[in-house]
Amino acid sequence: MSDARIKSRPESVLEDPGARAVATLYAQSWITAARAQGVSDCHAELHSFVNDVLGGWPEFAEALMSDSVGRDEKLGILDRVIAPRASEFFVNFLRVLVRHGRLSLLPVIREVVIRLTEVESGKQRVRVRSARPLSQRSRDEICVSLRGRFGFDPILEESVDTGLLGGMVLQVGDTVFDSSLRSRLKMLRARLVEKAFNEIQSGRDRFSHPEGD
Amino acid sequence: MKFKADEIASVIQKEIEDFRGLIQTAEVGRVIEVGDGIARCTGLSTAMSGEMVEFSNGTRGFAFNLEENSVGVVILGDYLKITEGDEVRSTGKLLSVPVGEALLGRMVDPLGVPLDGLGPVITGDSRPVEWQAAGVAERQPVKEPLQTGIKAIDAMTPIGRGQRELIIGDRKTGKTAIAIDTILNQKGTGVICVYVACGQRASSIAGVVEVLRQNGALDYTIVVAASSADPAPLQYIAPYAGAAMAEHFMYQGKHTLVVYDDLSKQAVAYRQLSLLMRRPPGREAFPGDVFYCHSRLLERAVKLNKELGGGSMTALPIIETLEGEVSAYIPTNVISITDGQIYLEPDLFWKGIRPAINVGISVSRVGGNAQTKAMKKIAGSLRLDLAAFRELEAFAQLGTELDKATQAQLDRGYRMVELLKQPQYVPLHVADQVVAIYAGTKGYFDKVPVNRVQAVEKELHDFIRTEHADMRDKLVAEAALTDEIEGMLKKALEAFVARQAAKS
Repeated sequence: MSDARIKSRPESVLEDPGARAVATLYAQSWITAARAQGVSDCHAELHSFVNDVLGGWPEFAEALMSDSVGRDEKLGILDRVIAPRASEFFVNFLRVLVRHGRLSLLPVIREVVIRLTEVESGKQRVRVRSARPLSQRSRDEICVSLRGRFGFDPILEESVDTGLLGGMVLQVGDTVFDSSLRSRLKMLRARLVEKAFNEIQSGRDRFSHPEGD
Repeated sequence: MKFKADEIASVIQKEIEDFRGLIQTAEVGRVIEVGDGIARCTGLSTAMSGEMVEFSNGTRGFAFNLEENSVGVVILGDYLKITEGDEVRSTGKLLSVPVGEALLGRMVDPLGVPLDGLGPVITGDSRPVEWQAAGVAERQPVKEPLQTGIKAIDAMTPIGRGQRELIIGDRKTGKTAIAIDTILNQKGTGVICVYVACGQRASSIAGVVEVLRQNGALDYTIVVAASSADPAPLQYIAPYAGAAMAEHFMYQGKHTLVVYDDLSKQAVAYRQLSLLMRRPPGREAFPGDVFYCHSRLLERAVKLNKELGGGSMTALPIIETLEGEVSAYIPTNVISITDGQIYLEPDLFWKGIRPAINVGISVSRVGGNAQTKAMKKIAGSLRLDLAAFRELEAFAQLGTELDKATQAQLDRGYRMVELLKQPQYVPLHVADQVVAIYAGTKGYFDKVPVNRVQAVEKELHDFIRTEHADMRDKLVAEAALTDEIEGMLKKALEAFVARQAAKS
């Protein structure tokens, strides 16, 4: 069997926001349940399952997530293959996902779990787009100023976009702080155009009667 | 004049030196789906309904659907250049259009972009396309007449300033012609007109603009055009944009007239948008809020109270029916919203009765309040007389022998029908209308052969204008048929009848 995975969506296609909303619900429930039962190493188990088992055995992942395999069969596979090797809490979680037909959301749930844990520990991801790669110094400066302003520990996700010409664009959640040269030039252009408009207007008004014709 | 390049360069240099680029903060999202002029975006968590958003390539749109996990954006421009994953930014502003004097005489699209090739619209003012209609306390009753210049309308279904009067009828029954005549008749009255062409053929729009230009009506008119070739979002917002442009003048205390030509096509554009946005379809596949779509638009037509300047916005929405079906969804909706309707019938149109107004079912709920005293006095019984005539006419067709009085009533009726006919683009001053209708109802036309009524009416107007201008001026000034004026009018008409008799 070839190891090329059948992809349900190409890389360029963004994930369904509905799926993410559902995954967030499962992730929150998972974290709350783990805390209530006092399970401590559940995170490692989840990451290992997604990375090593699903990532390492794409055929197995496909079989588990495929619609052509029935629910009972999937539960059977879980009992035979996973249950002897994992904690009861984790297997129960997988059973819930299988029963609700949401097992395919597991990678997204894992991602949301990481995010939620980060937020709980006072961290937040910040996307930084800059015209040139950031130096360690500017990285530190950004972290300090973000900490001072928002009160969280930023985790920088850096990318280089030469189209910005200079400066950088920070994105925290849905909010973007744009100090790039490209945007500034755009703003300057708009201002010059507006100024020219006003000049034309005042020039025209000079030759016309103030109260109309 | 010679440009001084150095001066310009120094101005620009100073501008650049003074420029302090502040950090721009904006809410962003990403496009997850795009097609048919619609984009679905994630993020934009604080977007407002109707807020303008900007895509990364500069195309604009507005937030139409606010859903739990995504925002449905209507794209105002070329959607083929927007791809999945593109960034979309909120602007914090509601969709607005430029407004002001600079728009008069111009043809613009629903975003205020000029379409007439006469250069940019230079105005510093803008106004949100969607605006809450004035409340009860901010209004005053509709009392002042808005003369359409059409005898049949001004006499029997008078329109007041601030009224909403629907023009409804099948295709090719002269709906637009009535609206255009009304615009032409506003010349010199200070009423600013906005003609909103929504879903019309581009050639028809060009025709209307040409008529307005030839008659000198473009000077006080704004044409907002969204032809059938334009995307549905533009057709949908066109009436609101037109209303916003008129409101600007209205809140300055001026009188305005807006023609929405036509709202059935706007409803179809709205249906297209809603279905693409996956809003559930209702009757005739229109969304559930198509009534609100029209009611909030027409509710903006208002006569403001004195504290707000006493300005007004009169709305003439047009609805096209199919085979006279007024009980379809959109016609019934708009009929129930408006303050009356002018119903046009193809049968009358082909019989040569133009404007083809069915006076029986055309009404104006504001009624006599919006008529000059003179018109009120003479037109009071006109509608009933015409209704009685129609009944008699049907009876006479049976071939029964008629007594003299009935025959006389019939003859008068035929002449009145002729008298109410009026050619296109020839609106009449209300004083002339009063003279003609007075002459008709009082029997001064009884001796005129039916086929000559229109020609004689024209002669009558010429006669009054040239030989009894003092009486006409008095009628214009007082706008009431006082005993003195009536006496003068009677004398003039007798002289006219005598002259006609001498001629034949």
